[in-house]
Amino acid sequence: MSQKQVRQQFADTMLAVGQEDPELVVMVGDISHGVLQPFAKACPGRYYNAGILEPTMMSMGAGLARAGLFPVIHTIAPFLIERAFEQIKLDFCYHRLHGNIVTVGSAFDYAYLGCTHHCYGDFALLKTLEGVQIAYPSTPIEFDTLFRQAYRNSAVTVYRVPGSQHGVEFIAKDIRFGKGIKVADGRDVTLIATGPQLKAALGARSLLAARSCDAEVLYIHTIRPLDEELILSSVSKTGHVVVIEEHMRSGGLGDDVLRVTRGLSSVKYASASIPDTFVRAYGSYEDHCEMLGLCPTGVAALVQSEFAR
Amino acid sequence: MAQLISKGSGKSRETLNRDLRCKIVDMAVAGNNGHIPSAFSILDIVSHLYANVLKYDPRNPEWTERDFFILSKGHGCLALYVNLHRHGFITDEDVAQFCRKGGILGEHPDFNKVPGAEASSGSLGHGFSYAVGIALGHRIKGAKNRIFVLVGDGESHEGTVWEAAHVARNLELGQLCVVVDWNQSGMQLLPHDDLPAKWKAFGWHTLVIDGHDNGDLKMAFDSVRFASRGIPTVIIAKTVKGKGVPMLEGHGMWHHRIPNAEEYAKIMEALS
Repeated sequence: MSQKQVRQQFADTMLAVGQEDPELVVMVGDISHGVLQPFAKACPGRYYNAGILEPTMMSMGAGLARAGLFPVIHTIAPFLIERAFEQIKLDFCYHRLHGNIVTVGSAFDYAYLGCTHHCYGDFALLKTLEGVQIAYPSTPIEFDTLFRQAYRNSAVTVYRVPGSQHGVEFIAKDIRFGKGIKVADGRDVTLIATGPQLKAALGARSLLAARSCDAEVLYIHTIRPLDEELILSSVSKTGHVVVIEEHMRSGGLGDDVLRVTRGLSSVKYASASIPDTFVRAYGSYEDHCEMLGLCPTGVAALVQSEFAR
Repeated sequence: MAQLISKGSGKSRETLNRDLRCKIVDMAVAGNNGHIPSAFSILDIVSHLYANVLKYDPRNPEWTERDFFILSKGHGCLALYVNLHRHGFITDEDVAQFCRKGGILGEHPDFNKVPGAEASSGSLGHGFSYAVGIALGHRIKGAKNRIFVLVGDGESHEGTVWEAAHVARNLELGQLCVVVDWNQSGMQLLPHDDLPAKWKAFGWHTLVIDGHDNGDLKMAFDSVRFASRGIPTVIIAKTVKGKGVPMLEGHGMWHHRIPNAEEYAKIMEALS
């Protein structure tokens, strides 16, 4: 597993891209201020710590885009996606302006901080918006590759930067925005994972193999646009699918998989996700994953209970 | 080079604005929609800006050297539309299609449809922050464009207005000028509303004028320095909602009401 945090890669990519592209502007809401200092020093006049006022920061980002620049807006997920949602909807999307939103602290990454700092409905919210792309890069190379591929296009792109990683080192040429990755072949069940939960999917695959259940594993780093073709081809083969995600059951990747596979006959589906409730417990990120079944044993148990495999 | 087209030039400012008020009423009646008193409240300000202050080219609304005017209180857009029409951005046909299927003019302006409309406003509390971003973006690019934004006093209940005021002052966005339509809508709900004191407390260069007086408007806008880095200016314009027609003035039922034939005749008589 890469020792570098994805958030650090975010800062490193801003520095590298910012030195190449004089139209890149980074604005933060008092988060990642320290790690972004190299960018601030290398790109004077293009780094702003706007303060703790996320809705206004989001509108300002739209204004920067209107001025012909390529903004990157960054802070903690619930305050950026949920508090400033109307600003994303109207000031970016209704205006059809481009931009980049980079969040940290999505799902329950800030597990100890409680529900005020959780954000596990972001996919659902963002999917209601015209022209929004959603990426979930969970290793440094994924962030760097996906950001460079998308940051100057005409869309609003949200990058959900996790605090954990899945441990698989992909190579850049295999990482394409909007395209999933088949990580392991199988014939009995498809495990579709997004974010750090690829680790749980691969662990579950090993446990299932011991029970003579051959699992195929797909990794989805781009939630929107979704690689429907990859999902369809796998699920049409296995007939069984489990979606593993750090998102609420409603509106997450699982719902997209159900929509994509609705035309297939007799597909069995299960979801390893967050129930549509607050996660009120304290403890570590790992504690939360285990409690919610977002771990190898949890996913393997789900396959057994739902599919009798 | 800016093209300053002034249809009906030769008439006095008062006569021109009276004609525009008539056109606003005609549009609202024909489209069976519109916020007439809100448009009357800001009409003299918007007309002054388009006639005497803003740089623009109606044949090229995206002219890179233009000034930006963001109407944040989007429900006053009839005042914007009649000025965009007067100055050649939109056509007679566009005006005739107000709020009609296939038209480009709705009850709030759509930036992607209306030439010269710099923002799709309507949800209050967005336009000012958006304008702060536009001002900052132009400064980053080394451009000298001036940015004007008009907010309502009711709109100023929104916290984002004060977030934007706070940020713009700290970023020293001197090329930004805010106009507040102080028609006391906000004071109906929250009567302790000393706007000049609030803006001064936020560190802005604060002017208070009569928003219907051409001399005051000229003095105020002429006094703004528009330095690329400096203290931004707010012009707090005392206005009357429904200005020009006594039966529309104030904060009653006319906020979003369309006159019937009898009322229309009375309004036109008052304007004449």
